[in-house]
Amino acid sequence: MTGKVAFSNVSKSFGAVKALVEFSLSIDEGELLTLLGPSGCGKSTALRVAAGFETPDSGDVSIGGTSILSLPANKRGIGMVFQNYSLFPHLTVTQNLEFGMRVRNISRDKRSARVGELLELVRLSGLSDRYPHQISGGQQQRVALARALAVEPRVLLLDEPLSSLDATVRIEVREEIRRIQRASGIATIFVTHDQEEALAISDRICVMSIGRIEQVGAPDVVYRSPATEFVARFVGKVNDIEIEVLSSTKARLHGHSQEIEIASAGKNAGLGAARLLIRPEDVQIVRPDSARPNVRGTVKTINFGGATTTADVEISGTGHLVRVADSTRNMRYRVGDSVHIAFDTERALLARGGA
Amino acid sequence: MRRGRAGAWLVLVVVFVYYLVPMIAMTRFAFQRIPVIKLSFGNLFDKWTIAPLIETFKEPEFRSSASLSVQLAIATAALTLILLVPTMAVAHLRSKRMRRMIELSSTLPFVVPAIALVVGFAGAFRETLPMFIRSPFGLVPLYVITALPFTHRALENGLAALDLRTLVDASQSLGATWYRTVVFVIVPNIRASIATAAFLALTVVLGEFTIASLLLKNTLPLYLSYSQGQNPQGSFAVGLVLILISTIFVASSNRLGKVVRS
Ligand SMILES: Nc1ncnc2c1ncn2[C@@H]1O[C@H](COP(=O)(O)OP(=O)(O)OP(=O)(O)O)[C@@H](O)[C@H]1O
Ligand SMILES: [Mg+2]
Repeated sequence: MTGKVAFSNVSKSFGAVKALVEFSLSIDEGELLTLLGPSGCGKSTALRVAAGFETPDSGDVSIGGTSILSLPANKRGIGMVFQNYSLFPHLTVTQNLEFGMRVRNISRDKRSARVGELLELVRLSGLSDRYPHQISGGQQQRVALARALAVEPRVLLLDEPLSSLDATVRIEVREEIRRIQRASGIATIFVTHDQEEALAISDRICVMSIGRIEQVGAPDVVYRSPATEFVARFVGKVNDIEIEVLSSTKARLHGHSQEIEIASAGKNAGLGAARLLIRPEDVQIVRPDSARPNVRGTVKTINFGGATTTADVEISGTGHLVRVADSTRNMRYRVGDSVHIAFDTERALLARGGA
Repeated sequence: MRRGRAGAWLVLVVVFVYYLVPMIAMTRFAFQRIPVIKLSFGNLFDKWTIAPLIETFKEPEFRSSASLSVQLAIATAALTLILLVPTMAVAHLRSKRMRRMIELSSTLPFVVPAIALVVGFAGAFRETLPMFIRSPFGLVPLYVITALPFTHRALENGLAALDLRTLVDASQSLGATWYRTVVFVIVPNIRASIATAAFLALTVVLGEFTIASLLLKNTLPLYLSYSQGQNPQGSFAVGLVLILISTIFVASSNRLGKVVRS
């Protein structure tokens, strides 16, 4: 029943605003794919085009190989959960869950059996007769998810379903969503602008910036090997260090004599001023006599973060701050200590131009 | 602070007296069997009767005009809701500009006098659709327009309080057609506003005089005006009942709004 969802070259503008530009993406059966990007980059527009609430200017959207663009929104068999609370305020939880089934003329017995199943699935069996305003935000979103699943949709679209919830409830509901999605095996597109949420919940992440796809890949791939500067900055933390590229394998920190290796990062870089985008965990504090090229600096701040600790190290001579992350066990420095740091540029990215 | 309070009370008392004294006078005139020049504080509790009301209710002219007015009122309320609810819902969903245009045109009855409306209406339809002018139900569209400033505001308040976009999208993604969405999602969620709009439309129709008079239709207000000569007590009695009904309509629509909101 469910099938592969595919966007091919979908473009959509609102007046002068290009919300989607040649957007192509496919979501496999049973997969949870996250659209991740800053506010206004077109995530909701992509979902709304798939759901039938917006008509694309060009391109196609298909499910299981068949185009769905000619179908109106109410015939697409797509379940959707919205950012704003969307339960019908005048109906109880049970009546909300039954809404889609009534539209489909499903018999009373089948409806109540299905409602029972769904309430159990989202663990809200005791709340069947409450009205939406009588349950919490997290519970409302779980009911909204159950309501979308009630009609056995081919695809599930979740548009920032957690953004109006508190931090702790958010994590709880997101795990619930993941569990239910796995159990139901429905192809799901999940939208968020929270990178941590995306990394935690997804099979694959599609990072977007103003209407375009920057990178699609598994969470670890997107995090470890960002394809573009945008991705590196948007997903996780990144150091932005001014360097001068000397050759395809060597560079020098700006205003510093120490050379560092840029073997893999520097593949496509020209010579001259550039910026090294490197994650805190790829910068290490090393012994002064380490065989690796290293630079001297002073620990300025230390942020204890439980399992990992980060430190901001000011490089001597340049005044540049570099963030270093390591497991708390290895971090045995204090503010003011003089340390040596080395750069593991294996997964770093080079960007053009001095900052 | 104190002084402001006292001032407010004073205004309230003045307004109260301004409205209440004529009402009391009307009530005594209509329901006491005492010649009007003999009415005084001394006989405030004497010879009360509802006979003038009952006698008027028995008159065939009264019955026909009252029945016409009730039918017109119901038809006006119905047409108002059928036209306005889907149109305003669409405007809320689609465009701010459309919403503003509807808002602006809803205030037209304040600007265009009833006489101009009737002259335009009669001029347009006398030749093309004479039926429309001859039938008393030709009044209904004019009444819909006359009541628009009130009915529009009532519905606008209800729609503005909803996250209509999300509710409609949710309904459609669950498979509902536009018709089903209006009837089972939008209407139940603005039912207090709908009741208010309906009551206001009824009230406007039950009190409208100018248009009916210009188009020579025998509605209740016209009957009351004409019968004042022959049956002054009866017409005041009916007038009071009308005021009472209107007050109940308006009060219950306010109450409804509060109950549903809480
Ligand atoms: N109905 C509309 N009319 C005009 N412009 C719109 C409309 N819908 C979206 N846009 C514009 O299109 C762009 C993309 O909007 P979209 O809602 O898809 O962003 P988003 O990624 O979902 O952002 P957010 O994280 O804030 O929800 C934005 O610039 C937005 O202002
Ligand atoms: Mg959005």
